[in-house]
Amino acid sequence: MNKRVQNFLRDTNTWSIFLLAIVLFVAIPIITIFVNLFKGPGETWNHLVANLLPNYLFNSLWLILGTSVLTLFFGVASAWIVSRYHIPLRKPLEWLLILPLAIPSYITAYAYAGIFDYGGMLENILHIKIDIMNMYGLVFVLSFSLYPYVYLSSRAFFLNQSANIIEASKLLGASERKTFFKLMLPLARPAFIAGLVLVLMEVLNDYGAAKYYGINTFTTGIFRAWFSLEEPETAIYLSAILVAIIFVLISLEKWQRKRIGYFNSVKNHQKVQREHLTGSTKIFFFIIVCIPVLFGFILPVLQLIYWAFLTFKEVFTLNFVSLSLQSLGIALLAAFSTVLMALCILFVSKWNRLAFLKPIVKISVLGYAIPGAVIAIGILIPAIFLDKWFIAFFKNIFDLKIGFILNGTLMALVYAYMVRFLAVAYGSIEASSLKLGASLSEASKLLGSGHIATFRKIEFPLLKPAIFSAFMLVFVDVMKELPLTLILKPYAVNTLAVKAYEYASDELIAEAALPSLCIVVVGILPVIFLNRLISKERS
Amino acid sequence: MSTSIVTVKKVHKTFNNHKIVALKEVSFSLEEGKILAIVGESGSGKTTLIRLIAGLDVVDQGTIELNQKVVSSNAVFISPQQRNVGMVFQDYALFPHFTVYDNIAYGIASSPHKKERIQEVLTLVGLLDKQQSYPGELSGGQQQRVALARALAPKPKLLILDEPFSSLDVLLRGQLRKDLLEILKQTQTTAIFVTHDIKDAIEISDEILVLQNGSIKQQGSTERVYKNPKGTYMKLLFDSIR
Repeated sequence: MNKRVQNFLRDTNTWSIFLLAIVLFVAIPIITIFVNLFKGPGETWNHLVANLLPNYLFNSLWLILGTSVLTLFFGVASAWIVSRYHIPLRKPLEWLLILPLAIPSYITAYAYAGIFDYGGMLENILHIKIDIMNMYGLVFVLSFSLYPYVYLSSRAFFLNQSANIIEASKLLGASERKTFFKLMLPLARPAFIAGLVLVLMEVLNDYGAAKYYGINTFTTGIFRAWFSLEEPETAIYLSAILVAIIFVLISLEKWQRKRIGYFNSVKNHQKVQREHLTGSTKIFFFIIVCIPVLFGFILPVLQLIYWAFLTFKEVFTLNFVSLSLQSLGIALLAAFSTVLMALCILFVSKWNRLAFLKPIVKISVLGYAIPGAVIAIGILIPAIFLDKWFIAFFKNIFDLKIGFILNGTLMALVYAYMVRFLAVAYGSIEASSLKLGASLSEASKLLGSGHIATFRKIEFPLLKPAIFSAFMLVFVDVMKELPLTLILKPYAVNTLAVKAYEYASDELIAEAALPSLCIVVVGILPVIFLNRLISKERS
Repeated sequence: MSTSIVTVKKVHKTFNNHKIVALKEVSFSLEEGKILAIVGESGSGKTTLIRLIAGLDVVDQGTIELNQKVVSSNAVFISPQQRNVGMVFQDYALFPHFTVYDNIAYGIASSPHKKERIQEVLTLVGLLDKQQSYPGELSGGQQQRVALARALAPKPKLLILDEPFSSLDVLLRGQLRKDLLEILKQTQTTAIFVTHDIKDAIEISDEILVLQNGSIKQQGSTERVYKNPKGTYMKLLFDSIR
């Protein structure tokens, strides 16, 4: 027998088959979109290409461009200032700068609609009225909502840089400005571009904010094709274009990172010491850092608190308590399932000995790059197909009339969350597992323990903090998620995110504040936790 | 007649989709009670070879026998937990959430004489008073001793030591080298240890195997290799300590 075939048979174990099964299970939505592409577009596709697609493309590109400029400016500038200089209130500002991540962008969008509205905060205080419900407004809202991704990656980079680089630049006669623009900014490029790609993925995934501001994007187009035109084929084609755009962005990011080999190349270095500023520079830098905190967090939260105060009696009913508990329950269940699946994929892929199977794990964590609406469509199609098959099967064999088993059930919704947020859990646990190294588990195996015993006694106890943080991240993401939930949620089930959306859609925007605030409060906890973790790691 | 504990026959190993050849047709054997030093530069294939013997990796071609039983070939793979091989890792790989006692107990949990054996190996490495300490509370040298005690506790047929002194300072190295040799001889353990320091190899081993770019450049008794080093690399290596 050929040696390669022999090796293949030798290395194929139960875990190889299990790994293949898990990855296929998680990849169902992606496979569905891909397979359905070959079936051809729907009837309205040509009309859509001629009339709407240019608009979707133009709007999406405009959003990408606008948010890129603003998030890069505020993200990188604030990261540089808090890592390099002593400014007033630096410590609280460092974590306040992350807090906009706790507010879903559609909620920030609702808040700003109120602030800029007739009789809103802006008119009452400054007596000016600006129409924000347009493309510029959406760029503004998304930028101040999402800049923390750029801030976090840039700050991590600046904090980990060696003081020697800056000192060398100074000794060569460069000014502080030149050192930043000629040295630190180019060096930090891979870091802030990595953050920017996350921003753009969120921009393209957004449904709530774009819908509320009346801007047609790919995501709103997918909703329209599915619900209004009732043409899944067209929705799939739009999804495929959206996924293609996202993969171009991710490839560009990977390419630029590969080209620059000096990213984080300095290790065991002396940390950068913060400089003291004086006079107008100090005030100017302080204002630069305060702007994103003010627009990204303080103003929208103040608006929400004001609205919540006004509408508390009407909104805080038994029904609201019930939907909060439902939301909490769904998020807990989804976070648990996702973390469990991430652990399965990570460890089963380690235990599988077939080297060529290892890269396929990457397919299972693609979900985070794929917008929620696309994942929902990728699940609905096979769910409807299987349900029809089940109904026919029970009718023909047992003469029984049954309803949908998958479509519109909690199972499908939790599965969708799992696909969408698997990368969040996997990434977090994998990073800690890599830090732990392979030798502990290898030592355990050489001392007679099998895979499961090694996991139970060695890896799980040591990975507990990472597993907990993965759980928390997924939990918050699920609490905030809107487009996927809107499409897949069971009829009788509701979440805080959907309730806020429903209120806003019914022009009851003030009533949307209480469910929104609940999401914000839940979202703040892991932001604080993660910030502490980063600070702890640094120290 | 002495029996062969390890027999490696024409072992070939590649990485990165056959682009990197780590080992080329490597063959050797080691008799019971002997200590073999595998010497070579970084990237010569030393670690790959011991990982294959321990079962932490699979061979592309060739056969590995432990105690005259095939444990690795194109058709066979016996998992590391079934090989009765002990290993002291370069970073010691002590379980940080276990005490010294629990670290050593890990491999002999089901043994009826667990307590006695732990006392025995701890006495051997001179750390009887540290059994309730956590690895993080020990010095580098003490950690190395615990790793050795843990590997010896299940009485392995073969003990592998991967650069055991690499993270220790020069003074401690000399002392531990002596101690290790004494312990290995006292317990009559067959051992393979990997090093890039020829001094370690000469002082501890009975035999030396020199690897270069994945191939064996020289092998034989320590004395013979010392007296008659082959190739520029080996000559330079010995010249540095003469």
